[in-house]
Amino acid sequence: MDGHLFWGMPVILYLFLAGMGAGATTVSASMLLRGGGGARGAHHEIARYGALLGPIPVIVGVVLIVFELGSWQAGHYLRFINLFLVANLSPMSVGTWLLVGFTLTSAMYGYTYLKFMPMYFGDRLKWRRALAWVNIPMGIGVAIYTGVLLGAMPSRPFWNSPVLALLFLLSALSSGTALIILARAFIRRSGLSEEKREEIHKSGYVLSTADSAIIGIEVISIFLFLMFAYLTVGDVRYAIDVILPGGELATLFWIGVVLIGLVIPGLLELYFVLPGLLYQRKYEVSRYTEMLIASAVILGGFLLRYVVVIAGQITGPVGV
Amino acid sequence: MDERPDKNRLSRRGFLAAGAGATVASGLAATVASGSAEAPSDAAQRKKYAVVIDARRCYGVHACTVACKAEYKVPLGENRSWVEEVEKGNYPDVSRSFLPRLCNHCNKPSCVSVCPTGATWKRDEDGIVVIDKDICIGCKYCVQACPYDMRFVNEDTGTADKCDFCIHRVSQGLQPACVEACPSRARIFGDLNDPDSEVSKLIAKNPLTVLRPEKGTKPNVYYIGADHTDERDPRPDGMYVDVKTNRRYKERR
Ligand code: SF4
Ligand code: SF4
Ligand code: SF4
Repeated sequence: MDGHLFWGMPVILYLFLAGMGAGATTVSASMLLRGGGGARGAHHEIARYGALLGPIPVIVGVVLIVFELGSWQAGHYLRFINLFLVANLSPMSVGTWLLVGFTLTSAMYGYTYLKFMPMYFGDRLKWRRALAWVNIPMGIGVAIYTGVLLGAMPSRPFWNSPVLALLFLLSALSSGTALIILARAFIRRSGLSEEKREEIHKSGYVLSTADSAIIGIEVISIFLFLMFAYLTVGDVRYAIDVILPGGELATLFWIGVVLIGLVIPGLLELYFVLPGLLYQRKYEVSRYTEMLIASAVILGGFLLRYVVVIAGQITGPVGV
Repeated sequence: MDERPDKNRLSRRGFLAAGAGATVASGLAATVASGSAEAPSDAAQRKKYAVVIDARRCYGVHACTVACKAEYKVPLGENRSWVEEVEKGNYPDVSRSFLPRLCNHCNKPSCVSVCPTGATWKRDEDGIVVIDKDICIGCKYCVQACPYDMRFVNEDTGTADKCDFCIHRVSQGLQPACVEACPSRARIFGDLNDPDSEVSKLIAKNPLTVLRPEKGTKPNVYYIGADHTDERDPRPDGMYVDVKTNRRYKERR
């Protein structure tokens, strides 16, 4: 790869982290609203984890991206401020402002879950509900933007597909859900009352069902992404070769993204969820299994960004 | 005349701000001017710079590459201009040709439409696509978006960099450095808005090609007799094709 990747690890991590954070907040907000939005609604636990976790990866990702800027590397540490002096139709400009907005709204939403912090204006629950309504479109917008940023350029045929934004959105939602599952799994359950454990398993069931459904659609959109690229002619057709068998990134894509990141965790979740879905059996999964599945999904989400960002730069009329 | 990009940028911003008022005013001015035919109207002064490359004349001496490099002290490993070498065919039907490259100063520059800071734009007055290195943050989005690989990040300034048609020379009535250096006059520079310029005449008389027209960028560098063979094109007959871009300088290992 010759060291001529213009966008390297900071961009890969940024796309991944911004997506995961946006996903976690979106999942949290929709769970809150579905559960009725009350202080102790049906999915309160899920909503709380998602709300508190969501903003963190987003902020980390945004900070990381600054290190990729040529101006920073050349020692102009404050030059990036120029990004905030203009608003135009460049996907990067639109995305920057969207991220500024989302960082604020998701942090405010998370704040309403910090019981020990005072609420200065109005009612905590009202704010929480209102912010949930705001954060769902914002979170989806951020997740889609990460795909549009790459997809907007005919010069990079691997990225130049509308399916990419959809794929990134689904991956963001599923890795956001996995982040919530992972965080929950760190809480020990042994000392808890029967009632409490029941509640935890119930929310685990809801999360796993949602995640397996998202993964299912994600597999379909990967298929569409490959199929449309494979069946066309010219630049896009050549570019897709890089992840087809024999391509430079094929192993990483098929083993890392598809098998470890989607198929295995998706099937495992389905295996645990199906008895409940079909026969109303009780859902009980050990927290170590949950940790494993969630980590695989998150790793897969990262590898997807990794493969896509690199594949786009080593293929196409420009290449390296 | 001060041709620093940022100065023009300010005037462009002023123009945009003046908006509708300016349009009305210039409309009036045009009406008056058409009557008297004394003050040349704005449109008449406007230039549209272009380069015609007669690939039949190029014999690959890379003088343009060297002249450009010397003119700008382009950092090691990068180039604003280069000459690609296309070798193809199976003996005895073989050919070897050269493809000189520089920024196309496209009419629809995809580098400009992705820039989030407005640091790069196409100048109204002469069609040159410029970069203001005091505004550019080095996000490399434009580097990704140019379908011709013309842009790079200058490690000294940390900003995007590329050919600027030698703005400092052409604004003084000189030729770009690469054009002047070419011993076989394969690169011809001029104004498309002037029907008597050499480029206009060449364009009127010759069959032309541009690079990757399918990308929709509408380039302003026109080729005569160039071989655009790409290594990636399907070759059912198993023809040998080797394209050396000479885009970047590589250390010998
Ligand atoms: S050749 Fe590339 S850098 Fe030059 S104007 Fe066209 S798109 Fe922009
Ligand atoms: S690198 Fe500079 S000129 Fe290019 S898109 Fe970014 S800010 Fe604009
Ligand atoms: S016009 Fe000037 S900057 Fe552009 S390639 Fe020629 S010498 Fe280099």
